[in-house]
Amino acid sequence: MAYLRKRALVPLALALASFGWAAWPWFPFSRASAPPRTIVFYGFSILGEVFNEAIFPTFEALWREKSGEEVEVLGSFASSGTITNQVILGVPADLVLVSLELDALRLSEAGVVAAGSWRALPHRGVVNRTPFVILVRPGNPKRIGGFEDLARSGVGVVHPDPLTSGGANWAIVAEYGAGLREYPDRPDAGFMMLRGVWKNVIAQAASARAARTQFENGFGDALVTYEQEALWDRARGKLEADVVYPRRTVLSEHTLAVVDRNVEPAERPIVEAFARFLWSDEAQRLFVRYGFRSVVDEWNAANTAFGRVDDPFTIEDLGGWERAKREIVDGIWKARVLRELK
Amino acid sequence: MNDRRSRRDALAPVGFLLLVLIPLILMPLAAVFVFAFRGGAAEFFEALKAREALFAMRFSLLIAFATAAVNAVLGTYAAYVLSKYRFTGERALGIVVNLPVAIPTVVVGTSLLLLWGPIGLLGKALEPLGFRPMFTPLGVLLAHLFVTFPYMLGAVKPVLDELETTYEEAAYTIGASRLQTFRHVLLPALKGGIFSGALLTFAHSLGEFGATVMVSGNLRLRTQTAPLYIFAQFEAGNIAQANAVAAVLAALSFGIFFVLLRYSGRREGER
Repeated sequence: MAYLRKRALVPLALALASFGWAAWPWFPFSRASAPPRTIVFYGFSILGEVFNEAIFPTFEALWREKSGEEVEVLGSFASSGTITNQVILGVPADLVLVSLELDALRLSEAGVVAAGSWRALPHRGVVNRTPFVILVRPGNPKRIGGFEDLARSGVGVVHPDPLTSGGANWAIVAEYGAGLREYPDRPDAGFMMLRGVWKNVIAQAASARAARTQFENGFGDALVTYEQEALWDRARGKLEADVVYPRRTVLSEHTLAVVDRNVEPAERPIVEAFARFLWSDEAQRLFVRYGFRSVVDEWNAANTAFGRVDDPFTIEDLGGWERAKREIVDGIWKARVLRELK
Repeated sequence: MNDRRSRRDALAPVGFLLLVLIPLILMPLAAVFVFAFRGGAAEFFEALKAREALFAMRFSLLIAFATAAVNAVLGTYAAYVLSKYRFTGERALGIVVNLPVAIPTVVVGTSLLLLWGPIGLLGKALEPLGFRPMFTPLGVLLAHLFVTFPYMLGAVKPVLDELETTYEEAAYTIGASRLQTFRHVLLPALKGGIFSGALLTFAHSLGEFGATVMVSGNLRLRTQTAPLYIFAQFEAGNIAQANAVAAVLAALSFGIFFVLLRYSGRREGER
């Protein structure tokens, strides 16, 4: 018996030590100071770096300077559809930055965001933009110059999944709009373009970020994604692909919403201060540095990596997201293209 | 009665087994450590010192301790009831308590959300009272308790089943109370089972992913466990960060497994 106890001593001591280490920050005597105020921010997949590395620390420093108060902004990043569902299901987010206004509309339908409240924010809630581009293998061996080339036989396309990914919805609109604007006199041009591209889709990932990881791992010849993804990788020397700018493509616009259900009245001023900060010169310049296009055009000259798109269009040109979702994503892509390809 | 073949006969089958196991199990594990230390030990420790990484490891450890403690009590009690009492529905109850083994962990997460979440069956009623367990540490704990429930049972019930009831009865006849009987008769016999059950529970809780990802909200410095941190960092392309924590988790699991093997091995040897 005594022997057994002695033998149990080592695991017991290890267990105690690891418990002590784990619980250390929560012991009353080891707490350095009162925990700072927190703002909780949920954003879609490609926002992770710019927010964690630049936006949050800058705002925390500014707020400390202005009010002498410590604030901590915490972020969580996943596909736009995923964070929208998480917020509807009750994660304690104060603000959410979704990839497309459609997800903001879903939030207001669920009653967590006051209807249309984001449209009262600067630029109707749009924080930044980025055009949709095509990434191809180095040297562009398949000679892809635009969306129409993705429809050629023998081209494998990696595409995020429109069910969860905001980027995928943008990509569908980009492909459809490019076809339509190329042949304005042919009413079926958008549908033909979508059918051509989607016949070649070989892999679908949950988010734009996950689709990029698939492409990096060697799947496919082309990836339809945000320009920002490519520029940010290139800026760090990590891009092992060429960027192809289609002549016509959509400029995605990313919408911020304040989650009214979760913001306590006492927290409202600081949450709103953070929201306003996102449109400040300082934040907009940070977005540009990380490869997003600013909503203020003059800042965009600062990033020489931005490529040229001859004929960019926005969702407004297609009648807004409510109509585009109904007519293009559901009406054409889901009801006609997917059915025909089955 | 030795029907083991001679050493020479074993050469080919053992070699073949190794050939299968090396790419299947050993090499992937080695890859984690190779990648973790590829940038040198300094980079490895730098990655571990990141605030989010430290928090994720601490949080995972605390949840694992809590899960092991709660399930040690609940699981031992369940094993006692199932082993000592005969009643109608006994078989059904036996299946229910073992059910978590068979259910995909993602389904566990979903069902917890649909029960406790703001739109869930109970959550809807509790929401006005300010009780929102989902997306908090409590939600993570609930998920881990669910997923790991059967491990304790599996470790303790066989010991109880084998234990002669005569000892217990003898204790009662000399006037021992239920508590005294438990303390002096059952507990010493069950100690090994409880220990290995708790260790297994701890190890599984430490690595739980499927249910946690659904109920935690994945908020760094608040509800992000170590496996969620690894996944988030890997998805974002920060392979060094992901691997440093992955290496620590793997090393911890090895340690726990080692203790478990040693302990149970000795115990059998003592018999």
